[in-house]
Amino acid sequence: MSTLSLRKWVCAIFVLTYVVIGLPLWDRLTNIYRAPLPRDYIKSLHENKFYDVHVTIPVYIRSDVYKFPDIHAATQIQVNHLLNSKKQNVQWSLEILLFNETFIELEKAQGREYHIVTLQLDEFVGYNAAYDSKNTVVYFDDPTVARNDLPFFVAQTLVEHTFNVEWGYLSNGDLMHSEHNAVAVNYNPEIHLSINLLKGDGSPVDWEIEETLKTYFTPFRRFLSPLVNFTVDTSVVYFNDLNLHSLNNTDNITWTDVSHSIDLSELSSMNYFSEDSALNLAIVFPSKETNPEGFSFVKVDGEQMWESFIVPQWGVLVINKMPLEANTVVSKDYLDAVLYKFANDLFELLGLSTQFDSLFSPVITIDSFKRIRALQNMNKSVETLWSLIKLTEQFKQMAIPRDVLEKVKEVLDIRLQIVEILNNPAKGDDLSWDEALNLSNKMVQRSEEAFFDGQMLKQNFFPQEHKLAVYMPLMGPITIVLFTGFVSLFKETESGSKEKKESLSEEEKKEVEETKAVGAIEGVDEIN
Amino acid sequence: MLCNTMVSIVHTLLFLIGLAIATEEPLNNAEGTNVSGQKFRIMETGIQYPYEEHLNIRPLPHNHLLTSFEFEMNSEPFFPGDSSLDFDTYDHYTVFPKAIEPLLRRTDVKQLHLRFTRGYWDSEEWGRLPHDGFKSGGSGVELWALIEGSSKEDAFKKWKTLANSLSGSFCASINFIDVSKTNYPVLSFNPQDREEQGIPLFNPTNNLYLMHASLANEPICTENLTPLLKLLPSKGKSGISSLLDGHKLFDSTWHNMAIDVKTKCVDNNHYLNNGECFFEMEANVDVVSHIPSVLARNKNPIPKPLGGEDLYCDLSKPYDGYQCFPSPETTEIQFSLSDLFGKNISGSNDLSFTHSRICVSITDNWLATIKMDEGLFGTDDNCFDLTENRNYDIYMESGSTNEVAQIDDVPIYVSRSLTGYGQDHGGLRTVFSNPTSKPVRLSYYESLPWFMRIYLSTLEMEATSEAHKNLTLNDIVESRYYMPSIDRKRSTQLEFIMTIPANCTISLAYEFDKALLHFTEYPPDANHGFEIESLIITILEPVPYQLRTATLLVYLSTPDFSMPYNVIIISSTIMGLIFGTLYNLITKRMVTMEEAENILATRSIKYKLMMLRQRILSKLGL
Repeated sequence: MSTLSLRKWVCAIFVLTYVVIGLPLWDRLTNIYRAPLPRDYIKSLHENKFYDVHVTIPVYIRSDVYKFPDIHAATQIQVNHLLNSKKQNVQWSLEILLFNETFIELEKAQGREYHIVTLQLDEFVGYNAAYDSKNTVVYFDDPTVARNDLPFFVAQTLVEHTFNVEWGYLSNGDLMHSEHNAVAVNYNPEIHLSINLLKGDGSPVDWEIEETLKTYFTPFRRFLSPLVNFTVDTSVVYFNDLNLHSLNNTDNITWTDVSHSIDLSELSSMNYFSEDSALNLAIVFPSKETNPEGFSFVKVDGEQMWESFIVPQWGVLVINKMPLEANTVVSKDYLDAVLYKFANDLFELLGLSTQFDSLFSPVITIDSFKRIRALQNMNKSVETLWSLIKLTEQFKQMAIPRDVLEKVKEVLDIRLQIVEILNNPAKGDDLSWDEALNLSNKMVQRSEEAFFDGQMLKQNFFPQEHKLAVYMPLMGPITIVLFTGFVSLFKETESGSKEKKESLSEEEKKEVEETKAVGAIEGVDEIN
Repeated sequence: MLCNTMVSIVHTLLFLIGLAIATEEPLNNAEGTNVSGQKFRIMETGIQYPYEEHLNIRPLPHNHLLTSFEFEMNSEPFFPGDSSLDFDTYDHYTVFPKAIEPLLRRTDVKQLHLRFTRGYWDSEEWGRLPHDGFKSGGSGVELWALIEGSSKEDAFKKWKTLANSLSGSFCASINFIDVSKTNYPVLSFNPQDREEQGIPLFNPTNNLYLMHASLANEPICTENLTPLLKLLPSKGKSGISSLLDGHKLFDSTWHNMAIDVKTKCVDNNHYLNNGECFFEMEANVDVVSHIPSVLARNKNPIPKPLGGEDLYCDLSKPYDGYQCFPSPETTEIQFSLSDLFGKNISGSNDLSFTHSRICVSITDNWLATIKMDEGLFGTDDNCFDLTENRNYDIYMESGSTNEVAQIDDVPIYVSRSLTGYGQDHGGLRTVFSNPTSKPVRLSYYESLPWFMRIYLSTLEMEATSEAHKNLTLNDIVESRYYMPSIDRKRSTQLEFIMTIPANCTISLAYEFDKALLHFTEYPPDANHGFEIESLIITILEPVPYQLRTATLLVYLSTPDFSMPYNVIIISSTIMGLIFGTLYNLITKRMVTMEEAENILATRSIKYKLMMLRQRILSKLGL
């Protein structure tokens, strides 16, 4: 092998080592660990969130007077027809089954309750719902039976009234954006409730809040507990009238003025409690010193000396017209009325009803909201996962720890579990819906944990340019030397053959001798 | 089918029935129908809450004035066994701050002590610290708490939550308290007292952990005072707290804010079952102001030289129209509290039967009166109760200000200083001076950061007086506790129980090495030095008293922060050079000198020109 080809070989090996081993090794050693998130699966879920969901709710139908052996099948057809008349954004259907008393009783003994429709013969046609069970009563008369209208009537009652929440969210509207979204707080399984008595001045006041809460609120908390658990605190706050005294010198005050001047900043109890979500009830009394005549803008309605309004996503404000005398005890009678109003408004603040649309039956509505919340939670956590994917794609140098991957996998597993419960017609009782809701809460929590993983942000402060800046002093000289050498070696082959040609003629040699003699060659070092 | 109106009526009815039964309350209680009973009734006997406030004013020598604000409040009782998720558990807050109680219950804190102190208390002039020093901290922020936990790790986790939350509440850097700043005092902070007090444990399998940390020389300012005022039920708007104003309060020689919370149970033996517990909180604000300076600043907010008529020259020295040695400070003074605090006291505390009370401790040559609507009123005991809802002010005057009420002697003076020079080692020297005729038994608590590596073997004791020359360290130190530091994980903790003989001055000295920190561990102002927290001395006998020395500033060697990049560049350049040479040696063609000269000859410009000339000539046929 000639010297030139050996040199070429050596040079090529250098360049190969640099390109094949050096660069990948450098890249590998200085790279950040990015766990492989199931991007495509999450993307497909994001695009079609409920493609595998078909909520199936079993409903048992019974008739007290007449026996209709095929009523369930006939109603099923009507229900399907009614449901298919609208485009469903989440697939749902009712499974109409014939009432089986032994089965229902056995299940009830274990705390499992199902939706039941009772057909009752009466003078008129109508329907009713029990407040304390998931029982819908449909009244019918003989002509209805004769006209064979009963299945349609039952179907309509079920779809449009008993399951009006599902009908509203899943068939007619958007699951996530209902009209009362602006008022309601985001759903959270644990909500803190602060009940504040505010007073513009500093004279002492007492209130019979403990007794009132125990009689009124304890049953209410128990009642709502499958959906949301409350922790409640009460406090008396002096020298704070939410800045309402500033309206003292203004004439023609409207509610807009009031909402503009209200300062709720000192009532944000979210800072002190561990719950993520909080609602407030503030009962404001003016100061006797600054407002001896009371707030002029509060309208008196008979006996009632206060007005209340909902502050969206915050709570309820009760503004009293007249200031309290020193050493006043606010009695249970007064608080009863205020709390009654508050309990009503609370349904709206929790998103269970709107001011235009009241509850059909509290038990049935809460049962429906378990399903809606579970679906909304699924939607929310898939959105969170998708945001996570977008985030990691946007920041290429962001680390993705293995923990995040584990959590994402857990979220996706939980999602499948929820889908299994929602889709299974055999699972249609209270406890199953509770389980679905709990799982969905866990799903939201895990997806947020994955998104807010602190480890992911750490490497973001070390951008790619810094990495390059640190390694450039080493890489720069080596790369330049290596590649200029490589290029010049290529050139050498051409110049080598030229030299061979040039060294042929004797004449030229002579010339060289001559130039040497003239001293034309100066010490110009052209050999590198 | 029913018409729509019918449906909505049914809806409303069902809802009302549903809700009413769900809340087990008859329908007639609904809004509008509720007229039975009285909605508001006046308690003739008054309503009382567990809240008290006092203000003590005490002139100190050399025209200084100590004002001590005291606020005490209790929480509403609670049952430790109750979970707030129980359907009939409701937490009530009246005068106790809502910012503190949920935090204490969440982190299982049984005792909380927080101090914000700044300035120098001149104990030789002013005597004992207010509250015998038990309500003051070292310069900066100090936090210690007694936390119930299943293990040390569990307790530390709660401690960290506590520190972070307090940091947010008080706008202070308490969140910088981490594992390397936290100590577990053993001999100090009165462990015997703690046992006697019977601090309740809500879970019998748990233990109590006392944790202490301080941020030396942390700046204290108005953003720390405002949260403290918000904790009070009066929110700084009535009673004595209306005097507290950040602008004036921090314009003082020494100021201190303290918060102490204790858990108390009605019956310590039964609280686990159904006994009630409550929190007891004390908040204190102590300020020492130099009255002439404050008055001068009120007169001239921008300092400028005094005119000739305002100058008081020292007559024992030469003086004329051009030369004047100012005379020592005046001993005649008249001022009112509104001069010092910029505000009047507005109204009183109405929340408890004891009204706001102001007491002035003075001698006969002082006069203290309360000013109400331009009228001045005095009392025999110089204590004033604020009973009405109007503006108050305290007016004081004296002809000889250096005669002040009896100041209790300080049982011991302690000072600590740095010795040695250089950036790699140094020493600490603590001087104890017992001016009394009784021996003083005390506990010594010192926490040093891990980068001060102390040599306990160099610990030496020296007595200054001849009578005590033969004393050795073992004669003085009764028991000792030493927890060596771990780099970045634990600070050095040194505790002694020692007795200083009567009329004796001794010094303790030891040496330490200064460690080098990691590049990223230096603060942005690395050349400022590192603040070292105060030494805490608690006197056990003859009188309970606590004092802290001044903080210290240790200089560590500070690196040139561009060094790492320089190192990278230089080493990379060297590597590049070596590689380049090696690479060239291996890949370049080797030629003899003769060949090289030939190549050079053919490459010269003259040669090329000649070749060109020849070519042209040959083409022309010449």
